[in-house]
Amino acid sequence: MSQQVTPEPVPEPQGPAAPDSMKKHQKKSSFVRWMKLLLKSKTGTVGFLIVMVVFIVGIFSDQIAPFGVNEQNYANMLVPPAWQEGGSSEHFLGTDNLGRDILSRIIYGTTISLLVGIFSVVVAGILGMAAGLFAGYYGGWIDTVTMRMVDAFLSIPNILFILVILTVLNPGIMTLIFAIGVTNWVIYARLIRGEVLSVKEREYVKAARSIGTKNLTIIRRHVLPNVFSTFIVISTLSVATTIILEASLSFLGMGVQPPDVSWGYMLADGRDYLATNWWLATFPGLAITITVLGIIFLGDWLRDVLDPRSQGR
Amino acid sequence: MSNGKELLNVNQLQTHFFTENGAIPSVNGVSFQVNKGELVAIVGESGSGKSVTSLSIMGLVEEPGKIVGGEIMFEDKDLAKYTNKQMRKIRGNDIAMIFQEPLTSLNPVFTIGNQLREAILQHQNVDKATAKKMSIDMLTQVGIPRADKVYSSFPHSLSGGMRQRVMIAMALSCNPKLLIADEPTTALDVTIQAQILELMKDLVKKMDTAIILITHDLGVVAELVDRVIVMYAGQVVEQSDVFSLFKDPKHPYTKGLLDSTPKIQDLNEELISIKGTVPTPANMPDGCKFHPRCPHAMDHCISNEPKLDTLENGREVRCWLYDEEVMADEQSKNGNEQSP
Amino acid sequence: MKRFLIQRFLQLIPVLIIMTFIVFSLVYVAGDPVALMLPEEATAEDVARVQESLGLNEPFHVQYGIFLMNAVQGDFGQSYRYNQDAMSIVLERLPATFELAAASMIFATLIAIPMGIWSATRRNTFIDLFITGSSVLGKAMPNFWLGIMFILILAVNTQLFPVSGRGTFMHVVLPAITLGTAVAAEMTRLTRSNMIEILQQDFVRTAKAKGVSNGIVTYKHSFRNALIPVVTIMALQTSTLVGGAIVTEQVFAWPGIGQLLVQAVNARDMAIVQAAVFLIAILVIVINLFADILYRLLDPRIKY
Ligand SMILES: Nc1ncnc2c1ncn2[C@@H]1O[C@H](COP(=O)(O)OP(=O)(O)OP(=O)(O)O)[C@@H](O)[C@H]1O
Ligand SMILES: [Mg+2]
Repeated sequence: MSQQVTPEPVPEPQGPAAPDSMKKHQKKSSFVRWMKLLLKSKTGTVGFLIVMVVFIVGIFSDQIAPFGVNEQNYANMLVPPAWQEGGSSEHFLGTDNLGRDILSRIIYGTTISLLVGIFSVVVAGILGMAAGLFAGYYGGWIDTVTMRMVDAFLSIPNILFILVILTVLNPGIMTLIFAIGVTNWVIYARLIRGEVLSVKEREYVKAARSIGTKNLTIIRRHVLPNVFSTFIVISTLSVATTIILEASLSFLGMGVQPPDVSWGYMLADGRDYLATNWWLATFPGLAITITVLGIIFLGDWLRDVLDPRSQGR
Repeated sequence: MSNGKELLNVNQLQTHFFTENGAIPSVNGVSFQVNKGELVAIVGESGSGKSVTSLSIMGLVEEPGKIVGGEIMFEDKDLAKYTNKQMRKIRGNDIAMIFQEPLTSLNPVFTIGNQLREAILQHQNVDKATAKKMSIDMLTQVGIPRADKVYSSFPHSLSGGMRQRVMIAMALSCNPKLLIADEPTTALDVTIQAQILELMKDLVKKMDTAIILITHDLGVVAELVDRVIVMYAGQVVEQSDVFSLFKDPKHPYTKGLLDSTPKIQDLNEELISIKGTVPTPANMPDGCKFHPRCPHAMDHCISNEPKLDTLENGREVRCWLYDEEVMADEQSKNGNEQSP
Repeated sequence: MKRFLIQRFLQLIPVLIIMTFIVFSLVYVAGDPVALMLPEEATAEDVARVQESLGLNEPFHVQYGIFLMNAVQGDFGQSYRYNQDAMSIVLERLPATFELAAASMIFATLIAIPMGIWSATRRNTFIDLFITGSSVLGKAMPNFWLGIMFILILAVNTQLFPVSGRGTFMHVVLPAITLGTAVAAEMTRLTRSNMIEILQQDFVRTAKAKGVSNGIVTYKHSFRNALIPVVTIMALQTSTLVGGAIVTEQVFAWPGIGQLLVQAVNARDMAIVQAAVFLIAILVIVINLFADILYRLLDPRIKY
């Protein structure tokens, strides 16, 4: 499963005025103003609420989950959800073939999904940023090689690269974060490089360089603020696609390994009981769908707010 | 009502845009007439409602806009009440329109010929071959060299002036009774502007088509048209034959417009622009909509809206200065103030 | 056009080199395939002999060179599990994957384009809301879960469709819808936004001013323009499609390249992994190239 994050660059605010206005926006606006903006959009609000709930569940999974992640109970195997005949209120979403509580496992799975989703985006972001800055700044053959690599990665479904990496490294959370990170860096590399190239040509940057301002300072002052909003939007939506990717790989048995629990892994488990015990495979999928839906809503709202030009699309 | 000469009679037309911030009355009670074969200009500053008026006549006002009142009598049919389907028989056939931007007004993925014959096939009972012949003939008439080659080329290969000629050919291809041209030359070079206008004038005279020419350029108005309608803030403020208007403008706004247009005779004279800007629909003033910018504004103008009054030889003006009662009142008030 | 094609082909070369380089070096890092190839009781000499014969003692760049030379000829070595030429095993699976991908693309296009147009022309109505809502949902649902739900409801419970496998038309319906949904969702969204943009263009108003029917305005003048970016989107989606196929084939036990690849990865059957990745990459690249050419044919403004 690779719904590749189609790099759909949010055109960043143009000109030197943009970073300033962004900064002011951030400082003054504070919490209340963002909240007001958020409440204006129904989907944005829904997305924000879902993401908040998912985060809270993910962070406090130990406290929230009624049962342990691998707490087996052979007396209570394959109990249906509470509202069905034979269900018990103790196991709201039922239990699996080993008598493990499905709700608890979904709650623990949240942590893993978020971990993989966020950290692989961080890895991709750092790698991509570094590559983009290098390529854009030094140009020449460094740029050529980097951009051909970007082309190569973009022309091939990223799940292929990840599968190849997974034949080499042992599957697990760290491997997943690494594998997803090193395949998704290209999106950021392209974005950052483009911005560096356009910034390099601007008069005030040329002026800054001529008086000997350090490259790093120029990057911090002129490049990063200009790509900031695009960066945030892409990253948010990337977390969503990464969560699906992680679930897919775990479903294939190449992602998260037991005793860790993953929604995708639960689904693969539940598939064998589809004919008789539908709830095993149904609820983990719902968890993925709702989480991803929330993140997409939030990301789309962010895109609308940070880039007014794309509104209504 | 029709006197046999009258082609179009717009009466108290109201077109509003229903936005999030409430209804915007972009056209707010506009009335005017156009006779058969007559050349009429509508002038006014940006945002005064000229385009919305013409789109209303065409039945092309887009959401969230809507005609909410008034009549558009065209040959004794009220177009304001027509459905979209009924309007389709009028559009391009009886009434045609040319838009401001020749660069974007032609579809980039179809040939000139394809787009040109579309109107002919739509409205005239001819086969494709005839439509093609008619199209090429039309292209020749608008002064396009090698018309049959242009017929099968794509818009991007033509210059702006050529494209506007194509637009004119397209508009006139079904021999319309009325042609609305919304700033047809604004986007073109000055030298080409004159050619295009000349061409339009020649063709409509030949075909006996009436024109509503929307423009900012009073120079064009003076040369081309018979009658002028001046619009301000969604209303007609003055209507006059072109000769009288230039000689003796009645409305202070018209005077302002004329003063802000360069004249060849006295280039050295300083141009006087009208102070202030067109009010936005959100903060439309009470009373006369022009009073905040008017050099002759009186107390009476602040809270009373003037009506469109008829003056001598068919001229019309919307201004209290031409209301004898009000003027008498004002004068006595001023007199009283001064005496003690 | 000829120049464009040549140029475009030349651009492919570095992409392919980098792609093969990445795949090769990963496999190189993965280490010794010989251990997997020989029976357990093999002696150290046996291992050394096989290593020698496979050229595994050569330095990295020489090995890569050999790999490239062989790859160009479609030779990725023997699958140790099948004892057969790896590429021929992969090619055997190609028709199945092609069938699935084509069916999904047809499904996605048939759904997405009318829906996108429909919602664009009825902006902010209930229908528009419903269609945009569904397309977000289509993007959010992982396709393996969707597939499992289809199996649960339409195959297990109601027995309308077979649960898995390939063969009849009925077999391909559920996998195709499963795989096509995400693509349809993205295509709907983009068709809609393109149509909305184009419906506001001046030339659409010109068409309306000619008095032609709404149908001609929407389908001739607007859609023909919206089609140009939609073709690009379809090409970009082939990547999504191929990625999705790997998972979908697993769900429906569809005997395609994806299924083969997953098995090969699990069994560390490097020859097959390399051959499959190489073939898929080439196919995706070729489809993108076709889309690029089609794009140029559709847009008369592009000159060569
Ligand atoms: N789609 C729309 N939505 C909201 N308001 C609109 C819309 N179109 C026009 N208006 C309003 O209608 C008013 C009149 O616009 P119109 O285009 O008719 O002016 P105009 O006289 O043609 O100006 P210009 O000389 O610049 O073409 C404007 O103030 C504008 O705010
Ligand atoms: Mg206008």
